[in-house]
Amino acid sequence: MPPTSVASGRAVRAARNYLLDLWSRREFAWYLAMGNLKARNASTTLGLFWWVLNPLLLGSVYWLVFGLIFDRGTLDVTSRALAPGEELPFLAYLLSGMFPFYFTQTSMTGGVNSIVSNARLMANLSFPRLILPIAALIESAVGFLTSVGVFFVVVGLVNGIWPGPWTLWLLPTIMIHVLFNFGLSTIVARIAVPFRDLNNLVPYFTRLWLYLSPILYQASFLEGKGEFVETAFRLNPLFPILELYRYSFAGIEIDLGSTLLIAIAWAVGLAVIGATSFIKYEGKMARYL
Amino acid sequence: MSTPAIVGEGITVRFRPMVDRKPTLRRSLGRMQHRETKELVALDNVDLSIKKGEAFGIVGRNGAGKSTLLKVVAKTLRPDEGTINVFGKTSTLLQLGVGFNPHLSGRRNVYLGGLAAGLRKKEIDERFDDIIEYAELWDAVDRPVRTYSSGMFSRLAFSVGMAMEPNILLLDEVLAVGDEAFREKSMKAMRDLLDRAGTIVFVSHALPNVAEFCDRAMWLADGKVRSIGPSADVVDAYKTAVHRGKNK
Ligand SMILES: Nc1ncnc2c1ncn2[C@@H]1O[C@H](COP(=O)(O)OP(=O)(O)O)[C@@H](O)[C@H]1O
Ligand SMILES: [Mg+2]
Repeated sequence: MPPTSVASGRAVRAARNYLLDLWSRREFAWYLAMGNLKARNASTTLGLFWWVLNPLLLGSVYWLVFGLIFDRGTLDVTSRALAPGEELPFLAYLLSGMFPFYFTQTSMTGGVNSIVSNARLMANLSFPRLILPIAALIESAVGFLTSVGVFFVVVGLVNGIWPGPWTLWLLPTIMIHVLFNFGLSTIVARIAVPFRDLNNLVPYFTRLWLYLSPILYQASFLEGKGEFVETAFRLNPLFPILELYRYSFAGIEIDLGSTLLIAIAWAVGLAVIGATSFIKYEGKMARYL
Repeated sequence: MSTPAIVGEGITVRFRPMVDRKPTLRRSLGRMQHRETKELVALDNVDLSIKKGEAFGIVGRNGAGKSTLLKVVAKTLRPDEGTINVFGKTSTLLQLGVGFNPHLSGRRNVYLGGLAAGLRKKEIDERFDDIIEYAELWDAVDRPVRTYSSGMFSRLAFSVGMAMEPNILLLDEVLAVGDEAFREKSMKAMRDLLDRAGTIVFVSHALPNVAEFCDRAMWLADGKVRSIGPSADVVDAYKTAVHRGKNK
């Protein structure tokens, strides 16, 4: 065997062993995530209600600011359900973008802190370090799934948009999105270990990303702003993911095939880059804590 | 008795505090101007050979490299040079209550701590009652751990650590906390472990404990092995040196 294939064989075996190790510790990741979730609301009066309240308040704030004050799109939240293919009422449009975006945002803020905030665990026990960003990801995923429930109830009651056959696409969409967030969160987790400044930068970055994404305004807002702006806007990796959500939430018309393909490419690309750079760096992490 | 449990050769760990420790933007900017980064050799070519059934003590001043050496043995820190081989299941009681979340109940923390240490949930289910009984927690198990006394906390944490049924136990000043009853209890558990041909590496400032409890000991000074041998001799030599330093 030529030396390169021996080396790559060894790399494949190492990767496989790592993943097996990771899988055998899945209960740990789960308990870590659930423990943090439980602890977070343990001392609040409303306790579990915060699960529903958080997305409701998040949606209300943006709906008030952008729907009412800036008078963007349809203010009449009770407008009838629109047939698939037509434009969504503003509330449905806003929430169908806001909740998924918030999932990406919390994945990044959770990931960027996941190593640093578990320094004691890292110093004392050896385990696949990927457990830590994964536990943080589980935490934000649970919050997101609650908000999906909130979405269907609120948008159903207010806009009359209920789940339809298109909603079957929600599962693959969420799976792609989880992979996408996993990639982002491991990348920021990896960088934040030697470069703590990232903790401070991430909130500004996500804020900027929110404003550059079709969430608070519609993509049509950019029409006539020049070809460059429009192309750049569509290069936003969240763009195809948001399209998939709007399709599976409300059945708006999209080019499903190409949107899926681009979304998967981004998700797989980021996940592979994130996981490999994270794992390669694992052995050095303890020195920075 | 002479089967090896832990064998380390030429272990060297260097920290580059300016570069390695939290290189914030400010320090990074400072680093751009004067580039020299002072290397700190936390462990310098340390050889280590600990046998099965042995209690091995490590003494030395603060900053001598004791914790760093234990981290290398626990494999949470990869040395810059040298090799380390550990034969057996380690329970890293480097610090007590690692993985615990103080806001959660004792019950929940048994699972968190046990899973963190490498147990499976099923194994914890099976051992749960024993863990609680050994920790003498009784009905406090469902109270948040932050409301525990330090004695209760130490007992629970130690009990969870021992639930791994380790062959190798790494203790970093663990027994400095907790009350007298806990200390006696943990000493007994450690003796039982040794009787079952387990291995204990024991870092402590309680020199009489080291002398009495350990078979052999190592004296680390500035990351180098100053002496290694029967624990009473090493502790004596270390004590003399400390006194001489004080009287100067
Ligand atoms: N993560 C780290 N980064 C930089 N220096 C470190 C780090 N950990 C330990 N050191 C340094 O290494 C030396 C040995 O530390 P340690 O092993 O904790 O000593 P001991 O446990 O004997 O008191 C000390 O000078 C300490 O400051
Ligand atoms: Mg120490």
